[in-house]
Amino acid sequence: MSDQSDVKFRLNNSELWGGLIGLALGGFVVWSGLKLKLGTINDPGSGFVLFYTGILMCLFAASIMTAALTEGGPTFGSRWVNTRWTKPLLVIVCLIAFSFALNPLGFLLSSIPLMLLLLRVVDPVRWPLAVPIAVLVPLGMWWVLKRLLLIQLPSGIFEIG
Amino acid sequence: MDTLINVAHGFGVALQPVNLIYCFIGVFIGTLVGVLPGIGPISAMSLLLPITLSGTPESGIIMMAGIYYGSMYGGSTTSILVNIPGEAASVVTCIDGHQMAKKGRAGPALGISAFGSFFAGTFALIALMLVAPKLASVAIAFGPAEYFSLMVLGLVVLTFLTQGSMAKALLMACIGVVLGAIGLDSITAQPRLTFGRLELIDGIGLVPVVMGLFGIAEVLFNTEQVIKRDIINTKITHLFPSRADWKASAGPMSRGTVLGFFLGILPGGGAVISSFASYALEKRLSKTPERFGQGAIEGVAGPEAANNAAAGGAFIPLMTLGIPPNVVMALLLGAFVIHGLQPGPLMITQNPGLFWGIVASMYIGNLMLLVLNLPMIGMWVQLLKLPYNILFPLIILFTIIGVYCSSNNVFDVYVMIAFGIIGYFMRKLGYEPAPLVLAFVLGPMLENNLRKSLILSQGDLMTFVQRPISAACLLFALVLLVAPLLPALRKKREMVALDEGV
Repeated sequence: MSDQSDVKFRLNNSELWGGLIGLALGGFVVWSGLKLKLGTINDPGSGFVLFYTGILMCLFAASIMTAALTEGGPTFGSRWVNTRWTKPLLVIVCLIAFSFALNPLGFLLSSIPLMLLLLRVVDPVRWPLAVPIAVLVPLGMWWVLKRLLLIQLPSGIFEIG
Repeated sequence: MDTLINVAHGFGVALQPVNLIYCFIGVFIGTLVGVLPGIGPISAMSLLLPITLSGTPESGIIMMAGIYYGSMYGGSTTSILVNIPGEAASVVTCIDGHQMAKKGRAGPALGISAFGSFFAGTFALIALMLVAPKLASVAIAFGPAEYFSLMVLGLVVLTFLTQGSMAKALLMACIGVVLGAIGLDSITAQPRLTFGRLELIDGIGLVPVVMGLFGIAEVLFNTEQVIKRDIINTKITHLFPSRADWKASAGPMSRGTVLGFFLGILPGGGAVISSFASYALEKRLSKTPERFGQGAIEGVAGPEAANNAAAGGAFIPLMTLGIPPNVVMALLLGAFVIHGLQPGPLMITQNPGLFWGIVASMYIGNLMLLVLNLPMIGMWVQLLKLPYNILFPLIILFTIIGVYCSSNNVFDVYVMIAFGIIGYFMRKLGYEPAPLVLAFVLGPMLENNLRKSLILSQGDLMTFVQRPISAACLLFALVLLVAPLLPALRKKREMVALDEGV
């Protein structure tokens, strides 16, 4: 990362934010441990391990933040320099949309558009190849699972599949 | 004599037609995922974990084991011909293997890699046969304190060997322990971190977590790069190495095998570290170290033997102690648990058919791999030409189906997608997923053994240091935790750091 040394005390230091997230998670785990009851040393309760793991998390997160503040760290932007960052973003959007569609639409109606989108958005596959793959692969998988392995995939409100 | 009878019994199990088929499927898929960059044995094993449910425990575990050691063979093909490691343990093979291929010696490089892998794999199996029953008889005397300390050591070794900041790796391990604690407390049956969701009562499944962190995240990470492949297109000839090649490779192969086997046994160690260690050792021992990096066959023979021997050695802690030393073995543990089996010191005596059947299948699998990787090399070269823009959507679809089939639950698909996205950002910010996954698997056992030790010792923490094995493990873990603070040791750690904690 070329601009590592420039971002010691800047807010966009990604290491600092990584540490902060770790600290927040650690705090939550400590609180959860306390809520679940620690018990005693000779009869540890459900929250015993969570509580001490949370404390360790806070310590490690604090150490990451200290290093970020004293040694600096790369900015968020520099992590994605010279990469095609829009591609994973598009795949993430497709996956989130798929997760919302899976239950109501069922496997076939949600996975065929997902495949078509993935085949076209990353490094576009030609339509004459993309369409058959997007349709036939989920259909083939559905047939194998339903007919041969007797596994019922979600069929959605239209009960297709 | 007992060992021979047991081996014969094992072959009786492994040579059953159904087990032979599963073994072939395993080594074939292993070679396939080894050859294809971007998919590793972890993704493939988690994808196929649900399939193991359909057969007997022997069949399923034989297949899963085949994927692991098969990927070690296949990874070298891509390293040599394309200069891209098919999986993390083949990174070192790229250095001299691809140079050999560029000089028209792809055949001997592939040949020595396959023969070296076969030799090391066979040695590791013989050693596994001899060492495992002895270690298992010792491990029967282990109490919760020893188990707890061994698991702590395993986690610390893995975090020590993970690339980048050790604080980040330790934070990941802690998150893994917390994720492993989700669900009902095994001692008090109290729900923990379930947020009132019924789906979380049984905890989060291993398959969606691993598939998300290693499958989906890997695809997301790869889509942001343009993957260029510089495939060696010349005809591959002379797969059987010449006498001079054998002479140059015999020493590195033997040393790599022994080194790899012992590094494979260590918790947290494994195939990746052993291949790096073997390369460094051969370079140091060589009278002409300047040839390394220019196509020295020793630089292929040693590391390839080492990573295969380590793959065999890694079965020892799992089979004898029930402790997976790396993420791949954690998945194998998952396969055992799915079938209601608990690997550990009693498994060899209580389930001899299973243990010896797996060992014997590995002999057969090694032979199958030799055939798959030498006469059929042309097929794998053709496969290297498969376009990624078609491969990646297919991987995503297969992971979704694999996760759904493992539990018949849409919630697990959501969990996998969430972990995939988290895993991608973790990788971008330099947080390795391997410590998280190993801690996720070990977490419940670690907690259970800690609480049992405290209850048995009536809260006396000295129980962990009064027992010699436990004390030794904790002392070693402490040394590794302190080591990065010392500049000289920190430099050494950076040299051996792994890309993936396998």
